[in-house]
Amino acid sequence: MAHLLTERKPYLLLLVLLTLNLGLMSTRIKSAGQRSLLEEAVMSLMSPFLKGAHWAGQGLSGTWGAYVNLRGVERENRHLREQIDGLALKAQEAEESRQEVVRLRELLDLRDSVPWTTVAARVIARGADGSARIVTLDRGSHDGVRVNMPVLTPRGIVGRVIEAAPGTSKIQTILDPNSGVAGLIQRTRVQGMIVGSGEHGCRMEYVNELSNIEVGDVIITSGLDQIYPKGYTIGIVASIGEGEGLTKLVELRPEVDFRRLEEVLVMLKPEGPPERSASR
Amino acid sequence: MRIVRGVVALAAAALAQAFLSRYAPSLARYCDLFLIIVVYFGLTSPPAGAMLMGIGAGLVEDSLLGSVLGMNGFKKTLIGYLVGSFGSLFMLNQPIPRFGILFAATVFDPVAELGLSLAMGRSFVFPPTLELLQRGLGNGVLGLLFFWSAARLP
Repeated sequence: MAHLLTERKPYLLLLVLLTLNLGLMSTRIKSAGQRSLLEEAVMSLMSPFLKGAHWAGQGLSGTWGAYVNLRGVERENRHLREQIDGLALKAQEAEESRQEVVRLRELLDLRDSVPWTTVAARVIARGADGSARIVTLDRGSHDGVRVNMPVLTPRGIVGRVIEAAPGTSKIQTILDPNSGVAGLIQRTRVQGMIVGSGEHGCRMEYVNELSNIEVGDVIITSGLDQIYPKGYTIGIVASIGEGEGLTKLVELRPEVDFRRLEEVLVMLKPEGPPERSASR
Repeated sequence: MRIVRGVVALAAAALAQAFLSRYAPSLARYCDLFLIIVVYFGLTSPPAGAMLMGIGAGLVEDSLLGSVLGMNGFKKTLIGYLVGSFGSLFMLNQPIPRFGILFAATVFDPVAELGLSLAMGRSFVFPPTLELLQRGLGNGVLGLLFFWSAARLP
């Protein structure tokens, strides 16, 4: 039988495998957000390697930076090479530390303003194609992270948790075409649905064509989707065009720079609605 | 032995892709290491082997960094079958035809995903033509390097 499948009639095997994939896909879509055992197993197996790759990459970039600095200083002054190299390295480290302190301080300020308990996390991987539609964090269910918890930075919302393994979790960012965030224009309180447009940003749909919207308006979360708390920045209106029917198509530029995403805050949202909305 | 090589190649591709996507996202955009190993097994193994590698690579890609489990599995299985069948019909052991196969597989990947997304009612943004061409070129060049290296392994 196996010989028949593999050697003589490979299209039978193809049919079996494609059906298996379709079954997996339909199960996954039906149970939106729930992890399958296979995914959990692979994520658990790969998370130490991902962390290892993260660690090795940092070591590599540090070594490379030292090498480049050393060569530059050697050209300038042979006698002062070691001293300058050391100073340059220290300056680089200090600058990196300073920037990290600034980022973490902003994160801490945000943490204080959020009505729920939060956990800080680092981005350790992006989508397979280098895009930021799906990113992986170094915090997971052991840290209290659960599916559908919102993720944000001091500049605005990042996305929501779609999978939480013990040591890592996957985030669907607002750039993903399958994501949806209930939002409103801060100035005029006009509501709409924010949908990702891949790497190009996001767009706001279902906006009445008579609504008062201008380029530069700030769009914030409305809280109506029961995932993102109300009042957090999503982005800025970049352009306004005609949508389907009697609606406007509003393109927006997210406030979060997804290409430089390093540290984020996961809101460990309790069951049920929040006690109070964030005042921002 | 072939199974062991397949598993090792798959693990190495997963690690390398994760590493690239973290530290060189602009480079990762133009290469799909999972696709390269599926095409390699398609050209060097019977269609059944290529399909098994396809489903393995696709599911690992889905589980590790994708969104819907089975989406890449479906595409890569199909690519494995097509390349395996094509490889058993034609002589594809020269660099130019191999580059062509890698390029065609790269273009087929988003086309298959578009079809699947339409069928399942999901949104999908088709990559711009220039980006697709660059990705095909990247996969073609990297794939040929991989084929050249793999041929010299014991």
